[in-house]
Amino acid sequence: MADLDLVRGTLDLLILKTLSWGPMHGLAVLRWIEQTTRDQLQIEEGALYPALHRMEQKDWLEAEWGYTDQGRKAKFYRLTPAGRRHLTAELTRWARYTSAIGLVIAARQGPAGAGAG
Amino acid sequence: MPRPDASRDGFAGEGRWAGFRRVFRLPATRRRLAAEMEAELRFHLEGRIEELMQRGGLGRREAEAEARRRFGDLSDYRQQVREIDDTTYRRRTRMETLDSIGRDIRLALRALRRTPTFTVVSLITLALGIGANSAIFSVIYSVLLAPLPYANGNRVLSLSEKFGANDMSVTYGNYGTWRQTAHSFEVLGAATGSRPLTLTGVGDPTPIAASRVNADYWRAMYIRPVLGRYFAAGDDRVGADPVVVVSYDLWKNRFGADPGIIGRTIILAGQAYQVVGVASPEYILYPPSEKVWVPLAIPAERLQDHKDHELTVYGLVRAGIPLSTAIHEMSNIERSLAAQYPNSYFDDISAKPLSDAVIGGQKMLLYTLFGAVSLVLLIACANVANLLLARATARRAEVAVRGALGASRGRLVQQLVIESMVLGLAGGVLGLAVAWAGVRFLVTSPASIPRLQTTTLNGTVVAFTLVLSTVCALVFGLVPAIRAARFDLQQTLRDGGRESAGSARDGLRGALVVGELCLSQLLLVGAGLLIRSALVVQSVPPGFDARNLLVTNLMPSRQYAGPALESHFQQLDAAIGAVPGVRASGRTSIAPIYGGGYDCAVQREGSNGHDAGAVGANMRSANATYFSTLGVPLLRGRTFDASDVADGAPTAVLTRSLAHSLFGDADPIGKLVTSCIDGASSDHPKWRQVVGVIGDMRAEGLTSDPTPEYYVPSTQWTGNQQMSYVIRGNVPVTTLLPAIRRAVSGVDRNLPLSGAKTMAAAIGDSLALPHFTMLLLIMLGATGLVLAVVGVYGVIGYFVSQRTRELGIRMALGADAGRVKWLVVKQGIVYGFAGVVFGSIASYAATRFLASMLYGVTTHDAVTFGAVAGILVVVAICASYLPARRATRIDPLEALRAG
Repeated sequence: MADLDLVRGTLDLLILKTLSWGPMHGLAVLRWIEQTTRDQLQIEEGALYPALHRMEQKDWLEAEWGYTDQGRKAKFYRLTPAGRRHLTAELTRWARYTSAIGLVIAARQGPAGAGAG
Repeated sequence: MPRPDASRDGFAGEGRWAGFRRVFRLPATRRRLAAEMEAELRFHLEGRIEELMQRGGLGRREAEAEARRRFGDLSDYRQQVREIDDTTYRRRTRMETLDSIGRDIRLALRALRRTPTFTVVSLITLALGIGANSAIFSVIYSVLLAPLPYANGNRVLSLSEKFGANDMSVTYGNYGTWRQTAHSFEVLGAATGSRPLTLTGVGDPTPIAASRVNADYWRAMYIRPVLGRYFAAGDDRVGADPVVVVSYDLWKNRFGADPGIIGRTIILAGQAYQVVGVASPEYILYPPSEKVWVPLAIPAERLQDHKDHELTVYGLVRAGIPLSTAIHEMSNIERSLAAQYPNSYFDDISAKPLSDAVIGGQKMLLYTLFGAVSLVLLIACANVANLLLARATARRAEVAVRGALGASRGRLVQQLVIESMVLGLAGGVLGLAVAWAGVRFLVTSPASIPRLQTTTLNGTVVAFTLVLSTVCALVFGLVPAIRAARFDLQQTLRDGGRESAGSARDGLRGALVVGELCLSQLLLVGAGLLIRSALVVQSVPPGFDARNLLVTNLMPSRQYAGPALESHFQQLDAAIGAVPGVRASGRTSIAPIYGGGYDCAVQREGSNGHDAGAVGANMRSANATYFSTLGVPLLRGRTFDASDVADGAPTAVLTRSLAHSLFGDADPIGKLVTSCIDGASSDHPKWRQVVGVIGDMRAEGLTSDPTPEYYVPSTQWTGNQQMSYVIRGNVPVTTLLPAIRRAVSGVDRNLPLSGAKTMAAAIGDSLALPHFTMLLLIMLGATGLVLAVVGVYGVIGYFVSQRTRELGIRMALGADAGRVKWLVVKQGIVYGFAGVVFGSIASYAATRFLASMLYGVTTHDAVTFGAVAGILVVVAICASYLPARRATRIDPLEALRAG
């Protein structure tokens, strides 16, 4: 199964969507994405944290240190109401984007006159 | 869809997130942020490694290598995250600070609402103090600080001539010589003082102030005209077509701001002038704002005259030449002129930068007033500081509890300072309203202060007010805040918030009250000295009977000249004299108080024709009925009568001081004199016989000493186009004005009454500036006094409330009411005396600033000092008596139980 490169700008969407299930630390976000995509998406792990911190700065995420089940100290991220609003907007945009792309690539007839001259 | 594991992973429910903000209340330092970043990285890698070892079955080494590989470039990660975190940190810190200030502002507003009396008293106090300062500052800004409007104002020198210690106007001859010889100047412009010209053909005939100026005057004093142009080089030549420049307000009010006015012809004093320009409104420094400028044409023969001082000269110094060089050059020219023309009443020049000449005169007055309002503001600040101290005491419990709950001292001080700031700024905003009213009052001042009319509350004034409010807030807020925060926690909680016998605190309050009384004394002494001076001036005899006397100027058009002018005036004399209710009327070239006469040297017969025996005097012409109408006593001989005809024997009347200067104790009647108008310095002067001696008059204003006066018959000297009528009535003279106006226009339809007012009003106008200053100082002094009374009352009241228990015990032990009252009032007396002592010392040093405004009173007038001291002590006693009475009503049982 070939790894798919992440389309630019979609990492934020994936993180927000993942965190919409509840607060998680960075590694858990990563695992969840891997698990859900059945390891088809290759995320550069080093890019994950800058994205988290950037979204924290934008007040889409809040962060707090807490403990995992194993008793390890970890930084947990949580979606803020602003983050949730942003996620909704991004989801709509994404749906329009993919459907538009889909229309083109699923078209059965070429443009009139194409290839004729 | 399955919920991710992580949702359980260390997450302990929503409640925990509610306190999320607390994370950022911890002092977030950069070092801690970096540590957190590393910890997050470590957690990630560890998690991965374990995962790889467990699920992938890798050894520790391989798992580590794989985890790192998957993570990517570590240094890249660190740099990116650090940059983001830094920005977040800075933003959060800023928000935290703003947040805490916002919280403190809300707290402050709530606290101020809780104590309405305190808030209202403080706000009124501050509004008065700050508003008075802003009002005076706006005047100072418009009058003194705003730049002069002239295009090259910083290169212009105002030039006059100096004779001994006196500044004289410039003679035509010297002006001509200056123009020819001085190299430092681009141009030397000249102007005469303003004299009214009658404007006819636009509504009723109206006298309009007119200055004669030459073309170079406009070049030196250039401000862009509103319309048209100023005079060109040819306009001021003798015989040139008459042209005129009108003032902005004249154009607006009388010509409806007609843009087509250029080229129109207007009639001034019976002569047609073509309008060439509308001047910038900034030329008007004083009312009246309706004015015209007509060309000053200097005939060649006048340029030979080095004696007649009439011109004001403005020199535009060449760019690059220092003003001092130009002054030095002029001084050399003038001294050689003085050697060439002796006995011409000049020996040097007097040169001032234009800004000094325009606004210099009122600088001292305005800064004195600014000093006075600053004192009021200091009193206001002391008062508010005192109120805050009292309030801080009342709030000790609150502050102690907040301290016990963990508020740091810095936070407590911050909160109290912000409270003061809120108070100060609110006071400042109210102060702007006070300043607005104050400015409206000040611009109605009858006193002639240049540019006063342009005073407004502009941006600079608003900024000044806000800065001033902040400074005040720091002054009155900081000390009480530090004191309030420097509490002894346990002691306060144990005392239940009552102050333990803190004598040091009483000391500070006492010092503030003594300071207020001291400053009030200073203000009241200033006001008192001006009042005393005004009373002295009021009782100064002018030397004539000023009661129920009307003065008005009449200026027939120039078609009447010489003997025709005199006979025209005689017709007017008859018409005015015939008005029912007029008891007597007379005329002179210029009435006393309205101004000095024509500066003229008078010499007696037998002197060598030159300096010996020459006495400087005011020369005036007068008709036969003038002296009796004015009510000036005739001491010897006679006044003018019908025998003094134009071609009769030349005669003169002297005032006593002139007669004494010329002839000593000898009888002057029948002696011969000559003067500047009779060719005194020529080889064949015309000699006049002295026919009478009259009493001295304070002709230049009540605060000036009587000047020697020299009178010639109006029939024998007709050089004045305008004459002043003095009219005495059997009824109040102002009621006669319409009838007099009708009588005058019956003789000459185009002749308006100009400057008609009673002599009493004219005297009032001449004293307008000292009176206005006095009024202001009285208002400021009264404000200061009221504030000081509030201060004394507040502190003594506080003293009583803090000693309720002690006073209760004293009463329980049998002290009578009188004793208790005395105990309290004593405190007030101590404050009063201390304030008076310091205040007197301060006043002694400071009243010299008023010296130029005082007449007949020394700056250390004992009566004023004593009276003000008495008032202050009495007021301090009264202010402490009310709390004293309250003290005697303390119920001993109640007081003990409360303790």
